[in-house]
Amino acid sequence: MGSLSVTGLTARYGKTVALHGIDLDLADGEFFVILGPSGAGKTTTLKSVAGLVDGARGEIRIAGRDMTGVEPYDRGVAMAFESYALYPQKTVEENLASPLRSGRHGTWTPAQQAERIKEVTTTLGIDHLLARYPRELSNGQRQRTALGRVLVRPAEVYLLDEPLSHLDAKLRAAMRAELKQLGELSGTTTLYVTHDYQEALALGDRIGVLREGRLVQVGTPAQVWTEPVDTFVARALGQPEMNLLDAAVEGGLARVGQAFAVGVPVRTHDSVRVGIRPRDLEVVDGPPPTDRLVLQGRVVLAERLGRSVELSVDVAGVSVIAVTSDHRVHEGDAVTLAVDWSRVHVFAGPDAADADAADPDAAAPGARLGAARRPANAALAGGAR
Amino acid sequence: MLRIGRGGATVTTTAAPPTKGPAAADRAPRSVPAWRRGLRPYLLSIPAVLIIVGILYPFALGAYYAFLNYAAVVPRPSFVGFENFAEVLSDPAFWTSVRVTLFYAVAATVIETALGIGIALLLNRSSLIGRIFEKVLILPLMIAPVIAGVIWGLMFNPQFGVLNHVLGLGSTFNWLGEHTALWSVVLVDVWIFTPFVAILVLAGIRSLPKEPFEASAVDGAGWVYTFRRLMLPMIWPYILVAVIFRFMDCLKIFDHVYVLTAGGPGDATRTLQIGAYQNSIVNLNYSQGSTYMFLLWVIVFLTARYLVSVLGKAQRRAAGSEE
Amino acid sequence: MAARELGPGQRKFSPASVGADAALLVWFVFSLFPLVWMVLLALKTDAEQISTYFAFTPTLENFVTVLSAEGTRLTSVDFTQAILTSVIQCVGAVLVSLVIGIPAAYAAGRWQYKGSNDVMFTILSFRFAPELMVIVPLFVIYNQLGLFDTNVGMIWVLQLVTMPLIVWILRSYFQDMPAELEQAALLDGYTRRRAFVMVALPLVRPGIAAAALLAFIFAWNNYVFPLILTGSQHTPVTVAVTRFLGGGGQAYYNLTAAAALIAALPPLLVALSIQRYLVRGLSFGAVKS
Repeated sequence: MGSLSVTGLTARYGKTVALHGIDLDLADGEFFVILGPSGAGKTTTLKSVAGLVDGARGEIRIAGRDMTGVEPYDRGVAMAFESYALYPQKTVEENLASPLRSGRHGTWTPAQQAERIKEVTTTLGIDHLLARYPRELSNGQRQRTALGRVLVRPAEVYLLDEPLSHLDAKLRAAMRAELKQLGELSGTTTLYVTHDYQEALALGDRIGVLREGRLVQVGTPAQVWTEPVDTFVARALGQPEMNLLDAAVEGGLARVGQAFAVGVPVRTHDSVRVGIRPRDLEVVDGPPPTDRLVLQGRVVLAERLGRSVELSVDVAGVSVIAVTSDHRVHEGDAVTLAVDWSRVHVFAGPDAADADAADPDAAAPGARLGAARRPANAALAGGAR
Repeated sequence: MLRIGRGGATVTTTAAPPTKGPAAADRAPRSVPAWRRGLRPYLLSIPAVLIIVGILYPFALGAYYAFLNYAAVVPRPSFVGFENFAEVLSDPAFWTSVRVTLFYAVAATVIETALGIGIALLLNRSSLIGRIFEKVLILPLMIAPVIAGVIWGLMFNPQFGVLNHVLGLGSTFNWLGEHTALWSVVLVDVWIFTPFVAILVLAGIRSLPKEPFEASAVDGAGWVYTFRRLMLPMIWPYILVAVIFRFMDCLKIFDHVYVLTAGGPGDATRTLQIGAYQNSIVNLNYSQGSTYMFLLWVIVFLTARYLVSVLGKAQRRAAGSEE
Repeated sequence: MAARELGPGQRKFSPASVGADAALLVWFVFSLFPLVWMVLLALKTDAEQISTYFAFTPTLENFVTVLSAEGTRLTSVDFTQAILTSVIQCVGAVLVSLVIGIPAAYAAGRWQYKGSNDVMFTILSFRFAPELMVIVPLFVIYNQLGLFDTNVGMIWVLQLVTMPLIVWILRSYFQDMPAELEQAALLDGYTRRRAFVMVALPLVRPGIAAAALLAFIFAWNNYVFPLILTGSQHTPVTVAVTRFLGGGGQAYYNLTAAAALIAALPPLLVALSIQRYLVRGLSFGAVKS
């Protein structure tokens, strides 16, 4: 019904190519989040679906209907712009009434319009602002008005462009929760775009990671988190970013400097990068566990950030970031960190392309090669004592 | 905040969108081919382009006249090639006109630019008098130049014009005499158009960021230094815009000069357009006048291209210095 | 009293600022004196117009005379008719320019389509081109077509004055307008035409008003076109004022002054009402204040 399918979407502005062939397949009612840094092409993707980009080519199907050449007002999509795009000379009420008055979303009598507007604004908590003008509203109120304009009318697909990006951190966190509830309730296919990975993980049924106009990985939040397809995706999610440690490979083992070694999957190159998320590293007391990768080092920096502590640990010359809720650790302390083997990733090194240019199966630089393994020789695990 | 599922309250479903809304026609969307969409800007511009063509036609015709021997006494003109040009370019009267026009343009532009910048700087201080004066600054600019000419003409009158009386020059000093006329018409130009330069430069000054000047004041830099090294480079594009507009307009000056002196006495103030006017309309020698205009237009065109490129460079430099 | 923050390069009150104020005073005396003089002259009776300078008995008679049939008889200039003609020609020219210029400015400002710059610069070149280059052939053409000394003929020629101004100023306003507002209107369900009228036009309304009024001022103040292309029936005020002093017979300086003041009044009033937009308008959108 309200599904959205995008095939081979390319978009160019003049000479620059913004999108290099995007493919998306959203099921009816799915909440899909596109995650990417600024300039990746997120807004262009949304506007192409809406029919607002003249230089866009490719097939877009909304509710099964081919939208090639169809004007934006006939597509049945509603969009919330990053800049809110509220009509400055109209009050909040008139802004919300605008889609109802156009005649393309049904004919609404003034009474029906007023009732519908009241419903939506009450839900969003802005019903006391109906007579205000956009310039008199705070950013949060404007954002909710823009959302209201989306919700007030029937639509097959919602397009939301970074709705939370101009809100301060606290408001953003609160709105995230409410958007989740709103999404579940409305059941409308939604394409949501953001650069904030937390929004992506919290809101999305599936996530698509966008980099320079290409979709690098599409999957559920769990998939993208635990099996990032390359270092770009791995670093895009998580704060602090995943530790990426260069390692030289020799005989099936990747050595990270003098610090430690891990077993690597077959078919690896000479240089790889070992990836460990800071939050996966746990501070352990007592004897180091034998069924996990253990790193031992000295705390160089301990930043207390509310509930958690961010540690910068020197493990035999290699700097590793870890996040823990254990407040007993201090700068200068010796500390033992442990992480499950399944949470240790191995990525191809940045120079991989040069090494295996002739090999069609060689992994691209930065590509994920798999999870690390406990090396056969137990004595090689661990770090400086 | 949202009231969905908060603290035990009943979950409202009002956020659910209506399906298609009441009485919506369910029609398949129309498809507009891409080429038709691309046509839009051109369709919108057609009327303007038609007008442009309508205006370019007389221009082209005017240029064409320069190659004919068209005059009231020659109603059926024939092509004479560059004969007119040879005639005009060897006519000392033409070169006098060129000299007069260039002198006028340079003198007026230089004086107006200097005064305009000065006035802008003086008005930039937040003084009470400054703010009052700013309101009446543009008055001379809004008066028709020809009417300004009429007004000054009355003031210039040797016998009972107020200028001779107030300045104590007696009743014989002739403002529009052989040696004074050109300066007098320049004076009127300065009176009318200095405000133009002033408000442009003032707008430029006011658009500058405050911080560099605050920093320079804290550093103890003197006024002259601040102006020369800091402000001037930043307002240079605005000054240039004013200079370009003024100089180009002076090249084709007509209105107040004509009404004050009709080009005289003799040819002391016969600018190029006045010369063309006398040839074409007074003497009805259309082709000769058109030749004048053709040559003036060449001068204008070349000057415009040069000045615009200078402006482009200055704008780029000013933008770079705003890092 | 709250302290005012200084702008760029501004200094606080000092002895030097008194000198600066004095310099400003000199300029403004120079600037306003001719206008004051005109007013005085316009208030003088025939007898006093050349015999007195600053001491006289003022009278408003001249204004009445200028506008009346009596004035027409005395000076052979029908000034009231001239005023009417100016209004018709200038308003007409501005309206034509708006109808044609707004879509063109929108197309050039919203989409920088191929050729838009050429169109814009061609229009700009009209501003700087010497008028006589067009007038000479038009003089011939108009006489052949019967457009000499007509309102229509003048409205057409005045496009040379009004259209560049309107198109350039409005293009700069349309360029500044955020595209997303129209996009939002499109998604709300409005066609491009309705979105333009509903969203774009209200946003540029101050620009349209400023451009139209400025164009009106320049059309009103124009002299050389009507000088050559009109005769006795449809001359506007600019030419009419100069005729007060022409020819033999008594020179009516006081009437001339009165007429000049009346002729100068509409542009002055209009200018005061669009003061805020003057800089942007006079520089054709190049300078935004």
